[in-house]
Amino acid sequence: MERNRTYECMCVLDNREVRKGWQPLKDAVTALFTKHGAQVLSARRWDERRLAYPINLQLRGTFLLTYFKADTQQVANIRRDMQFSDSVLRSLIVSCTEVPAEAYTPEAEFDVNAVQVEDIRTAAPAPAAVAEESAEAPAEAEEAPVAEEKS
Amino acid sequence: MSNFGGGGDRGERGERGGKRGKFSRFAAPRKLVEPEEPLDYKNVGYLSKFVTPNGKIQSRKRTGFNGQNQRMLAEAIKRARIIGLMPFVGRT
Repeated sequence: MERNRTYECMCVLDNREVRKGWQPLKDAVTALFTKHGAQVLSARRWDERRLAYPINLQLRGTFLLTYFKADTQQVANIRRDMQFSDSVLRSLIVSCTEVPAEAYTPEAEFDVNAVQVEDIRTAAPAPAAVAEESAEAPAEAEEAPVAEEKS
Repeated sequence: MSNFGGGGDRGERGERGGKRGKFSRFAAPRKLVEPEEPLDYKNVGYLSKFVTPNGKIQSRKRTGFNGQNQRMLAEAIKRARIIGLMPFVGRT
């Protein structure tokens, strides 16, 4: 029995792929939905931010928010294709009752060359680690305590 | 007059509420808190108010939410963790 529902999909895209071109990447991701007979209602860039934890050794990612209408039986196939895709680091598909109005607003243009790529292997050490190292170093610069003057 | 607490005079006028203590059957009704913003996994700034520095979800006692909102909060935080917007474990 066919039953169509509206879903919301948030994908984390690899910034290395984003730098190659946003529109081709977006088309490739939306093709994963249409391949399984889904109707893409909206697909727009949500944000580009640092991830809370590294995914596939990447510390930053671009978030693509997609609303689509699909058969309930096909969602598992879409989810599986997302997992196989190299450009999609992580995806989350949840059902939604209605598409928010802001989803239909045109996407703001951005410069793909300004997108930062941070790899965990090449990234600078975290500020906390740097602070620990400096704390371990001998404290030579510390000033001697000033003796109190007796009146 | 019967003593419903069953503990005699012990702890009746303590620092933590006296007769209306934590475990008393006369405890004041809990004040329910309504969420100020939608409990959505994309609303990371608001959700991060309800996790401890270690990344654990706060209890209903701390958030003050009713059961339905607490479940929505927990679900939203878990979704945000999966997508990489919030950490599973914070500062340990």
